Amino acid sequence: MTDAIRNSKIENGNSKLKTGILKIEDGNSERGGGSLPAGQGTPESGILNPESSAATAVLVEEPPTIENTQIETPETDSLPLSMPKPSIALPLLLEVGCEEIPARFLRDSEKALGERVHAALLQAGLIGPGTATKKTRAAEVHTYSTPRRLVVHVPSVMAQQADKVEEILGPPVKVAVDAEGRYTRAAESFAQKNSVGVEALARTTTPKGEYLSLQKTTPGRQAAEILAEILPGAILGLTFPKSMYWTAKSDARFVRPIRWIVAVLGEGKAAATVDFTILGVKTGNFTYGHRAKSSKPIAVNGFRNYTKKLAQALVEVDYNKRKERVLQAASAAGDPAAGKIVQDEWLVDWISNSTEWPLPMLGSFDARFLHLPREILITVMRDHQRYFAVEDDQGNLRPNFVAVLNMASDEQGLIRQGHQRVLTARFRDAEFFWTADQKLPLRDRIPLLDKVTYQARLGSYGAKIYRTKAVAEYVCATLEALGALKSDQAAHVLRAVGLCKCDLTAQMVQEFTELQGIVGVLYAKVQGEPREVATAIYDHYLPAGAEGKSPRTLVGVIVSLADKVDSVVAGFAAGYEPTGSSDPFALRRQANGIIKVILENSLALNLKEVVNKALEVLNIEWRKPQDEVRARVLDFFAERLRFYFESVRGFRYDTVRAVVAAGSELPADAQARAEAMEALRGGEDFEALSAAAKRIRNILAKSATSADWQAGAVVAELLTEAQEKELAESYARVFAEVETHRAVRQYRQALEAISTLRPAVDRFFDAVLVMAEDREVRQNRLRLLKKLDELFSGIAHFAEIAQKQ
Amino acid sequence: MPIINKSTRTPPSPLSFQDMLFGLSTFWAEQGCVITLPYDVEVGAGTMCPETFLRVLGPKPWRVAYPQPSRRPADGRYGENPNRLLKHTQMQVILKPPPANIQDIYLESLGAIGIDIRLHDIRFEEDNWESPTLGAWGIGWQVMLDGLEITQFTYFQQSGGIDLEPISVELTYGLERIAAFLQNVDDVYKVKWNESVTYGDMRHSEELEFSVYDFEAADPVVCRQLLDLYEGEAARLLGEYPRFVKSEEAKENEPSAEYLASLALRQKRFPLRKVFDLTLKCSHLFNILDARGAISVTERVALIARVRKLACQVANIFLDRQPAAEVAA
Repeated sequence: MTDAIRNSKIENGNSKLKTGILKIEDGNSERGGGSLPAGQGTPESGILNPESSAATAVLVEEPPTIENTQIETPETDSLPLSMPKPSIALPLLLEVGCEEIPARFLRDSEKALGERVHAALLQAGLIGPGTATKKTRAAEVHTYSTPRRLVVHVPSVMAQQADKVEEILGPPVKVAVDAEGRYTRAAESFAQKNSVGVEALARTTTPKGEYLSLQKTTPGRQAAEILAEILPGAILGLTFPKSMYWTAKSDARFVRPIRWIVAVLGEGKAAATVDFTILGVKTGNFTYGHRAKSSKPIAVNGFRNYTKKLAQALVEVDYNKRKERVLQAASAAGDPAAGKIVQDEWLVDWISNSTEWPLPMLGSFDARFLHLPREILITVMRDHQRYFAVEDDQGNLRPNFVAVLNMASDEQGLIRQGHQRVLTARFRDAEFFWTADQKLPLRDRIPLLDKVTYQARLGSYGAKIYRTKAVAEYVCATLEALGALKSDQAAHVLRAVGLCKCDLTAQMVQEFTELQGIVGVLYAKVQGEPREVATAIYDHYLPAGAEGKSPRTLVGVIVSLADKVDSVVAGFAAGYEPTGSSDPFALRRQANGIIKVILENSLALNLKEVVNKALEVLNIEWRKPQDEVRARVLDFFAERLRFYFESVRGFRYDTVRAVVAAGSELPADAQARAEAMEALRGGEDFEALSAAAKRIRNILAKSATSADWQAGAVVAELLTEAQEKELAESYARVFAEVETHRAVRQYRQALEAISTLRPAVDRFFDAVLVMAEDREVRQNRLRLLKKLDELFSGIAHFAEIAQKQ
Repeated sequence: MPIINKSTRTPPSPLSFQDMLFGLSTFWAEQGCVITLPYDVEVGAGTMCPETFLRVLGPKPWRVAYPQPSRRPADGRYGENPNRLLKHTQMQVILKPPPANIQDIYLESLGAIGIDIRLHDIRFEEDNWESPTLGAWGIGWQVMLDGLEITQFTYFQQSGGIDLEPISVELTYGLERIAAFLQNVDDVYKVKWNESVTYGDMRHSEELEFSVYDFEAADPVVCRQLLDLYEGEAARLLGEYPRFVKSEEAKENEPSAEYLASLALRQKRFPLRKVFDLTLKCSHLFNILDARGAISVTERVALIARVRKLACQVANIFLDRQPAAEVAA
């Protein structure tokens, strides 16, 4: 393709005359700044903004009209030909004005709209080609949002699509041109069909010969026209976790009603509205400011002008700038004497997403409420009022809070008074609940759990506690028998199991549900429960997954374990088995927690036995046969165990496969085996041994079908060769050693002992033919190999180990 | 960033509780709402009144506003809690369809009860609403005034299990808390109902007595029997609703005009609103049993489903005969 620059006729929005070729070298447009600053575009300079600095534009003299221009035919046989054409660039401002968008969706929606607009512009050829990466998108499309608007600013949109130039092939020259070089009927007909005179015809050589041809140019369309077609889809294609309809049921849905749309192409006087209508809302060049300021429309003619006018109307469209304001004030807390903010990233984000003009304000409350536990005070302030708590240098709460207003000022102090009043009422509620709840101690609330739903198919919390207790009793008995648990600890476990859900019936938790567990501990402590019991009430919700903090005491560990085992087993039985991304009851997280506490505490528990216990006491309407549930739960635990080994412990993938294949019912044992394998891997003996183990396994696998041998004792008299006698003797020695190590889970030593077999194994395979002619001898050799295989396979299935290259 | 930390002032002469009722009623009357009186069957919310539940169904435009005492037995506190009531007063407003500037109109309505939005921090915080017993849900916000929830603002999407077309907007003002806020009192019972009578004078004994009944004195067996009786009566009536039936000889032909006229008349005479009252009775009895702690886990789900079934049938019949109702209107 030649380097020819295509000429074209360009009409820029409001300015009529300018035609020409505009070459844009797009600098690194920075976020927020916009590469084309607002300026007064004059009719004379409409396409070129004289103030434009970030984008370098070069105006080239317009060549003569298209008819008189000789267009070079590209040397190519691919049709059609699309020619790149530099074009005038214009900024686009799009604002979707909406009723308050929920804070939790706002940023995702903002980004999604930016991506959709970018994709649509790219597809329509209105922004530079080959820029689909995330990085260039951020440079080309800037996004903003407030609760009442989603904003996209594209500094450089091509004012017009590139012209499309196609080469149309006609009849072959030998048919279309006669001997005298005159066009024939065929040529005329070809020209006529394409609405040109024969003088426009050219010739093109193709591999099949020379043909008549002509260039057909389809002019690129105006951006404004295309935008009007593509922007509605970009906006309405947004999806939200929860959306609504407000016009007609069959119409598109959106997160909240759209009330205005700003769609402006160009800047300053050259700014023009892109006309379209969605859901009854017609686009315009009017936006709206903060509600408290005015409900009058504000005319805008470009991005810089837009942000300036909105700032005057108390709207900061940039999330990051709002966040800065929140952070700045929150960290300073204004009055150093008042203390410092209790840091809270989530709250900073939430506030930044729910205000248009954040203004932090320090408030105070009656110090008498400080007798309430810190957890309760912070929950009330954070989760219910969205206030930051304030503490002193020692971390003691101060009788202060910081509320972030969505206002410019509070000159009369009314807002501050209001927030303080509301917080006082909330604290008084909490105080009331605290006092009222003490009238019925946790221990007397156990029967009330029969009336609290755990899960519709699984009955009440009362029923759950009954089942959890059975599992906990089994675990305690097992650990006590092993000397791993004292009898007073076991008593604490059972006490804590009984109490751990009782705070669900407390008014405090019914009002402040996020305090579940925390209230339990607080109440247990004041009601004189042993400290270990109280701690376990909170800790039984731990760990939150494979990475979370674990319960602090063994009592807490067992309560947590029993509670989670019941949740998983009952969940599977009720048909809530996790599938793909769907795991409504977070059973994966709970199973991860089970694996984690067993392994971290090296609990010598057999998961199968524990699961059996949980199944035994489960009294529900079975959706699947019990055996199937058992099998699925155990598979699930094996999968979670692999996940834990790989993700949390970082064990090699194949080590994990090999170890878990050799048994997963005793997770702590599997962990010891995996650690031993990992310690020895890479060593020469290990690799050789691994190869030998595989070789043995292969021979046995091949012979497994053959009916002429059976596993059994190796008969010494049948060992004929020296190498097999040596191997048998080595085996006998190593076997005893391995048994000793295995009994105390010293798998590393066991594997090392096995490694000493290597020379004997090597010699055996070098010198001895396993598949001997004599049936008795053959069977005896296979038996010997089987013994060796058993030695390995209790630790790991070496077949799973990837062979070192 | 400056931190506001100024002395506070008390706003001048706040409205009494009844002034608020007048103010909001007048405001919404000017917006074209019919002002009606509270419904005379126990309801848990203004949404449950026929003026809302039934009239949001179907295509007919509708605007109404009414105060509605709303009973929630489980929220009873024997009159001891300064912020919590088993019976609170909602100002309920329905606009069908909602005008495009409904948020602005709502904010203007706050002016009618003495709230100048330029001086307060007003937020619309996400809060979607759902009523499983009514088969109804909507999308919306809780409106916060300086951190206090003062109104539930909901765009209904479904009622009686039926998608709404057009949708309605529902505004529910919590009058007691707004009054306590405006009058700057820390106890709802200290709110001035008018110049000389307090909210406590009017309602404190009622809170105490109903708390005693709901939590202690109610006989669960009797309440359950009553619920069954009301439900049975509603179901009996529903079974008698005259539906369009093609007679044997008319199968080939269009139904006769006489048949249609007689059917429309019989449908029009059907005591649908009584069935709905019976449904409300069931709902209230369910709430009492719940407060009494007499409902088991499995029963709870089943009871809600029973009430919802009645409510959905009522909604269906309302729409089925709406052409007739429109003629009558």
